[in-house]
Amino acid sequence: MQTYRAGFALPLEELRDELDRLWGTLSAAPPLHGWGIRPDGGVFPAVNIHESDAAVTIEAELPGLDVGDVDISVTGDELVLKGSRPDGNAGPGGNGETKPAVTWHRRERGTGAFERHITLPVAVDSGRVEASLVNGVLTVTCPKAPEAQPHKVQVRTA
Amino acid sequence: MVTSTATQTVPRTGATAAPAEANLTYQPHVDICDRGSEVTLVADVPGAQADAIDVSFEDGVLSLRATVPPRELAGRPLRQEFGIGDYRRSFRLGEDFDASQITAEYRRGVLTIHVPRLPAVRPRKIEVRG
Repeated sequence: MQTYRAGFALPLEELRDELDRLWGTLSAAPPLHGWGIRPDGGVFPAVNIHESDAAVTIEAELPGLDVGDVDISVTGDELVLKGSRPDGNAGPGGNGETKPAVTWHRRERGTGAFERHITLPVAVDSGRVEASLVNGVLTVTCPKAPEAQPHKVQVRTA
Repeated sequence: MVTSTATQTVPRTGATAAPAEANLTYQPHVDICDRGSEVTLVADVPGAQADAIDVSFEDGVLSLRATVPPRELAGRPLRQEFGIGDYRRSFRLGEDFDASQITAEYRRGVLTIHVPRLPAVRPRKIEVRG
């Protein structure tokens, strides 16, 4: 993808923009989320995983996506997140019309397909997995399979 | 719909006067597209609260700030690959824009800001007589 920089007159402004971006990249912690530039080599989406006694919960950021754009499947202890973000940003069009010419000053948001396989710490009950996608945040709740839940063991006294 | 005027930021409903800056602040990924009649900025701000997004344009600089309410998953963390915090970013666009006509919308975690150019400076095709 080409980035055109027409219209931003002073070279100093461009330098400042670049430094801002570089600084942002270095100082934002943990790593950058999102499509596009990923310093850790391209695993997308980034996920946060939590585990409670009853369930394993996974959270991912998928801005611009709706429930129909993402495919979630669970098999045993593996969760697969699959989907794609269409490049709808180039202006009005579709239906074969020629799109009006646009100039990109900055192109940081990626588009395209993604697929990520996540191995969960325990087996989960795939029939009871629930997912919600609100404001671009995907939350997947996987209740643990009954055999994986903690069981209290009664100690018999002799 | 979030709208902004020339020098004020959009008032937040129900927010406290001095928000605590306890969160980390992130710079969202942004696409900037120049369509001639307007410049469109599209920012990825997943998890932002719709009524707590500020867009302002002052002295040729467009600033956006999106508040992301903290969210905790149940249980203990096993893996943390990204952090949750407010988004903030500014861009120098220049003075050719009509600040009173800036509009913005927030949908599915994506903030789109339309910054129209002042009519006098829009690109015009000039007929060449031959």
